Amino acid sequence: MGKIELNTNTYATREFRVLLLFSLLVPLFFLLDLLIGSYYISAAEILKAIFRSENSDSQVLLIINNFRIPKAITAILTGAALSVAGLQMQTVFRNPLAGPDILGVSSGASLGVALLVLGTGGLLGGTMVTYASSWGIVAAAWVGSGLILLLIMLIATKVKEIMTILILGILISSGIFSIVNILQYFSDESTLKSFVIWTMGSLGSVTNLQLAVLLPSVLIGILIAFLSSKFLDAFLLGENYAQTMGMNIRFARMLVFLSTAILAGSITAFCGPIGFIGIAVPHIARMSLRTAKHSLLIPCSILIGALMMLISDIFSQLPGSEKTLPINSVTALLGIPIVIWIIIKNKNNNRL
Amino acid sequence: MKPGEPTKIISLDNLSIGYRSDRKTSKIVKSEISASAHSGELVALIGENGIGKSTLLKTIAGFQQPIQGELRICGKQIVSYTEKELALLMSFVSTEIIRVSNLTVFDLVSLGRFPHTNWFGKLVDQDRTLIEEAIKAVGLSGFEYRMIDHLSDGERQKVMIARTLAQDTQLIILDEPTAYLDLSNKYEIVHLLHRLAHEKGKTILFSTHDLTTAIAESDKLWLMLNDSVEQGAPEDLILNKNLNRLFQNNTLYFDQQLGDFRIPRIKGKEAFLVGEGLALAWTIKALARNGFTQAENAENALIHITVNYPTWSVCTLSHEEEFDSLFSLCRYLNTI
Repeated sequence: MGKIELNTNTYATREFRVLLLFSLLVPLFFLLDLLIGSYYISAAEILKAIFRSENSDSQVLLIINNFRIPKAITAILTGAALSVAGLQMQTVFRNPLAGPDILGVSSGASLGVALLVLGTGGLLGGTMVTYASSWGIVAAAWVGSGLILLLIMLIATKVKEIMTILILGILISSGIFSIVNILQYFSDESTLKSFVIWTMGSLGSVTNLQLAVLLPSVLIGILIAFLSSKFLDAFLLGENYAQTMGMNIRFARMLVFLSTAILAGSITAFCGPIGFIGIAVPHIARMSLRTAKHSLLIPCSILIGALMMLISDIFSQLPGSEKTLPINSVTALLGIPIVIWIIIKNKNNNRL
Repeated sequence: MKPGEPTKIISLDNLSIGYRSDRKTSKIVKSEISASAHSGELVALIGENGIGKSTLLKTIAGFQQPIQGELRICGKQIVSYTEKELALLMSFVSTEIIRVSNLTVFDLVSLGRFPHTNWFGKLVDQDRTLIEEAIKAVGLSGFEYRMIDHLSDGERQKVMIARTLAQDTQLIILDEPTAYLDLSNKYEIVHLLHRLAHEKGKTILFSTHDLTTAIAESDKLWLMLNDSVEQGAPEDLILNKNLNRLFQNNTLYFDQQLGDFRIPRIKGKEAFLVGEGLALAWTIKALARNGFTQAENAENALIHITVNYPTWSVCTLSHEEEFDSLFSLCRYLNTI
């Protein structure tokens, strides 16, 4: 028994150490992200602005409060939301390569937004961004991603092979993008422009007003994920086992899908489609914690996701230059090597 | 459950199983199944491929609804239970191999506590004790913090059984628990099931293709045949020749002496054997494989074999030869 207790302790400290490390790194990179931008602001001025010091420059305050802080918070929310959505999808589909972007959930959100924006003549990017219209866009994205999740679930009950499901997911994404393209073809120039800017994906375009919608949405999504952590553990063994352990499969699946649709939908609604974070981060979390328990994987994915997005945002600023890269491309370049590594590692056995 | 007073745990009465395609039509896989299992019994479900073993187990485990007839678990109709109530009475091990990395033995077994823990699955001291006991009962103490993808097939199957013990149910159902295992692991797993049924008074129902272990260790067989389902102690089913009907469309026959299925050999050649003990017994087996039967008396036999381990001498009308292994003896006999 002594040996077992020793093991418990070493594992507990490993989990504790990993979570502590990431929770220290996130605020550090948050500050670093505030520091970097096209207009030079010194670290001292940033700290002064954050702690509401009397004698700070009003222009600096404006930049920090209205641009840099919303952007950095958006980065944290994006990373956390996409990672938790990816983690839940990988567990429920028991597929190491599942993620909101790969299985078409993000494109489902795009379709929802496209139908709303192109149908109503431009709610995004224009001058008419209001609190109500922000909720409208988010809701459209939720419905779009939720419907695609149900469609993928239907397919997954018929087809068990992981690669087949992924290929079907990619086909569904392409189909949806075609529909979005056709919608664009029939829309007028100004609406089209605002939509195209949106599809490029950006953290910086999220205003404080939109953040007031995004923040509660992501928090609700993450809360539901935490509430489903026991169900997610049971899903690891597959639905047959979960059922014989007394889980109400439909209810559990509904909770998980609700959370995934809210998380992936909200982020896609405001920041555009952002890829690869959702697939890569849960694997880094599992590897660093060496556990499959979701009560630990969810907080760890939140921290690693936030960190990855902050790093991506810092890279996209091209420190030292005034140019900004599309955030999509940066996350793809960071995420793709990790995804390739997962595929090579799992070549012979499809496991989480 | 006290030993000595067995209670009826599973009771099938004129049950039809199959798949419901919609409300009116259904595809019946097997009908008129009547069988039962009591506490403290290890029951093996035997039958040819495609006869409906899996469908029956899935129906009893609650994945499929019975089409007709009665299926009672602990006295109540299965359809009257909720998922949670059923999970407190019955646990299940499927044929699927669980492949999850970074999942420890302890964490997998602790999933068995699912129906007993709170919404967040928090383990209290009693849960931990039960999990440790379950791991110990299958002989995996010390493996608690091993990752399941680093275990052998036999060890992984034991972990899945430990999970059912942690679930603490009266009834355990296993779908071909020995399918992927090598011979020694097959014996070990079935013996473990036997021990759990007898020591803990559980009712354990498992399907298998491995008759030898099923006959040796089970208290009862449910024999699924083309036209009926027979139940009884393995020995009863051997004596009343029901086991002979298992592969009736096949060339296999059941050897009632050996308690296993054999492929009938074309008998033709006879040999007279002299010798004793184990060496003689195995020589007879080797000769049988090569189509030789043992001659009753020396005069009529054209081939005489003397077993004097580790040598064998063969005497035919024209030759006399000596061999140092059964392999070379058989090769020689085939050239005659």
